[in-house]
Amino acid sequence: MEQRVGMDDLLGRIRREIRRRRGEYYGLRGAFWGAVAGFAVLLAKQGVGGTAPWVAGSLVVIGALAGVVYGVARRVGRLDTARVADRAFGLHDRVATTLEWGERADRTSLVDALVADTLARVQALQIKGVVRHVLPREGRFLPLPVVACLVLALMPPIPLPSGRLPDMLAPGEEEREDRTRSTMLEETTRPLAKDAQKRASFEERDFAQRAGGGGATTAGDLSAIFKDTSLANQRPDFNSFLKKGDERLKMLEQMDRLPDLQSDFTNSQYKMVFRKSKSLTGGLRPNQISPQKLRELLEEMERLGRKGGNWGNDAMEGMEALEGGQTDRALEAMQKALDKMRAMDDAERSGKGLRGGRENERGSRGRERGRGDGMGGDEQDFGEGEGLLPGRGRSGSPKGEATQRLRASPYDVGVEGESRRGRKEGFDTNLTGRAGSMASRLQYLGVIGQYRKMMEDAITREQVPRDYHDQIRNYFQALDER
Amino acid sequence: MSQQDSRVRAFVTAFEALRAEVEKVIVGHHDVITHVLTGLFAGGHVLLEGVPGLGKTLLIKTLSEGLELSFSRVQFTPDLMPADIIGTNIIVEDADGRKHFQFQHGPIFAHILLADEINRATPKTQSALLEGMQEGAVTVGGASRPLPAPFFVLATQNPIEMEGTYPLPEAQLDRFLFKLRVRYPAIDELNAIIDRTTQSRPATVSRVLSGPAVLAFRELIREVPIASHVRDFASAIVMGTHPQWEHSPEVSRRFVRYGASPRGAQALVLGGKVRALAEGRYNVSAEDIKAMASPALRHRIILNFEGEAEGVDTDTLIGQVVEDAEATAVQSREPFLR
Repeated sequence: MEQRVGMDDLLGRIRREIRRRRGEYYGLRGAFWGAVAGFAVLLAKQGVGGTAPWVAGSLVVIGALAGVVYGVARRVGRLDTARVADRAFGLHDRVATTLEWGERADRTSLVDALVADTLARVQALQIKGVVRHVLPREGRFLPLPVVACLVLALMPPIPLPSGRLPDMLAPGEEEREDRTRSTMLEETTRPLAKDAQKRASFEERDFAQRAGGGGATTAGDLSAIFKDTSLANQRPDFNSFLKKGDERLKMLEQMDRLPDLQSDFTNSQYKMVFRKSKSLTGGLRPNQISPQKLRELLEEMERLGRKGGNWGNDAMEGMEALEGGQTDRALEAMQKALDKMRAMDDAERSGKGLRGGRENERGSRGRERGRGDGMGGDEQDFGEGEGLLPGRGRSGSPKGEATQRLRASPYDVGVEGESRRGRKEGFDTNLTGRAGSMASRLQYLGVIGQYRKMMEDAITREQVPRDYHDQIRNYFQALDER
Repeated sequence: MSQQDSRVRAFVTAFEALRAEVEKVIVGHHDVITHVLTGLFAGGHVLLEGVPGLGKTLLIKTLSEGLELSFSRVQFTPDLMPADIIGTNIIVEDADGRKHFQFQHGPIFAHILLADEINRATPKTQSALLEGMQEGAVTVGGASRPLPAPFFVLATQNPIEMEGTYPLPEAQLDRFLFKLRVRYPAIDELNAIIDRTTQSRPATVSRVLSGPAVLAFRELIREVPIASHVRDFASAIVMGTHPQWEHSPEVSRRFVRYGASPRGAQALVLGGKVRALAEGRYNVSAEDIKAMASPALRHRIILNFEGEAEGVDTDTLIGQVVEDAEATAVQSREPFLR
């Protein structure tokens, strides 16, 4: 009996050691994930408040404790422990066999000798640490979130991103807006006429956005305004608003004329609205789209349109259609407005000389030549190896309206772009204008340069038998003469 | 000391004594001698493979001299007939002048049978041993005749000379518990062989074990317990030699046509039990199984064409299978339980 206690004691010690190692292992893992959660809390310190460091620290401690508890509480099988003991002390599977066979009914007489032998050996063992430390992967990276948490705890809070679309105005414009803010406040506090009451939603919204974080309500958050259906359902009168004369719009127009090299052209108004429209309509039928969200988007487009765009009316139409329950029409109007935004966006980019300089140069040259002699040469419009991708297929280029550089050509052609629905943003281009019915001639002009170049290359590389060289060159010459 | 302890001690003593007697004559080949004795106590038969002159026949003869058991030797030749091994009915005339059939026992009716150069006989003759090896009895003229117990076949074969030989069929090979490879001796061993065999007085071997004692030890060996995880390890090794098994290692899938039979697993466990008891242990460990893997499985694995063409060594292949089985068993456990 005493000897059996010795074996149980050995197994108990090993089991405790296994549990301890497991506790360490899972404790480190828990601490890591707790630190990650704490990091997230500290990122939102502005929202959480002064308790954020305490919350983060608590998460680390809770994670570690939860891991330790899990590791310690996990079951350790008796036979598993016995095998660990066998391997650790070189007992040649004696302990495991003894445990397994000791209580079997069909045990042989030799098993008794085995039990006695095993117990005797266990008694003579020098107990030592047998279960190795295992460092989890999370344990190796634990210092990273912990240090990050410490840094964030010491830093001032990071401002939270607002829910509204980023205002694309330049800093100078903001200052001017601040100056005009007082005037606007006066306007809004005056008793409103009947028409003006109808337009209250737009003015109030505009004011709230320009006021930034100073509003009494959640300034900068459009959702509060959008949820106000009494305002949203009122029909806006954009034309009368324009007639009234908003100085801010004039100033905005003036600002648009200036090249703004500081702007982030990868984050334009168009792209923002486009992304929003994609996320709204992506994969859904018109009847599945939330009217509330569509209205929000249209109102936002309309607001942006007032700042100097020509798509405001389309956005208004869309809102009217939406109020009448015609989601299809609202979507069409939104698409039109989007197209106009894109066109303006493209024009702004090329107008500020940031890209497409060669195209403009070539286009203006073509126009001048067209005005001058009335016959712009085709080859001047399309250099060797260059050309459009005409036809009704899809173009890899997201450029839509490339008609301007072709206006002087006798083969007048326009390429219209439509945003392509699908996973990847892109445009389908189609031919319009006179060349729509002369597509083959345009294709020929577009590709003949490439073919001629390929022909010359093939002849130079001796891919063509020598006897055929003249014949091929004559053929291309004949094409040129025609 | 309990009765079981004394039985185990007696076995260990007998095992060591018998080995010592054999080693009086045979120089080196420690592993071969150990495995031959293991085969004897496990109740199986052993096939020894090696080039001529390495002492295979001498080893077996010496072993038979160390045991109080009958011994017979059959030199297998192409014209040897089954009746030459088993025996036949012959007409005998008694004192009254009446004639009757009398069974003339063949050399198989001995405790230890040395089938020398077994692959020189035709398959028909080789097959004459099948029943005796498996059942411990032979059937002649419709009458089954039991062989003396313990019955132990020790066969030798030459792996080099293939002309005029008949490789043993798989069914015959499977009946051998172990196939042992007798290697060429090292230079020290060779010197010892020269000294021993050129002396005027050859060493005398004492009889240290009787037939009933061998049978008693065979019973004892079957009582040795084996833990389930050790048994699973043996099964995993045998299954790992099968290319069709889903967990078999790449080497088996690539080079093996047929893997070991269940007799292979039996050989592993029985051999492991003898080894454990010979070392004074009362249980089989994973090391015992590993030690028995090559002798128990090397003749039970049939290589495919690619394996033959690339000259894959069966022992190397088995080694890889054992490693894989061990690694799989370890990797499936969490780090703290490895």
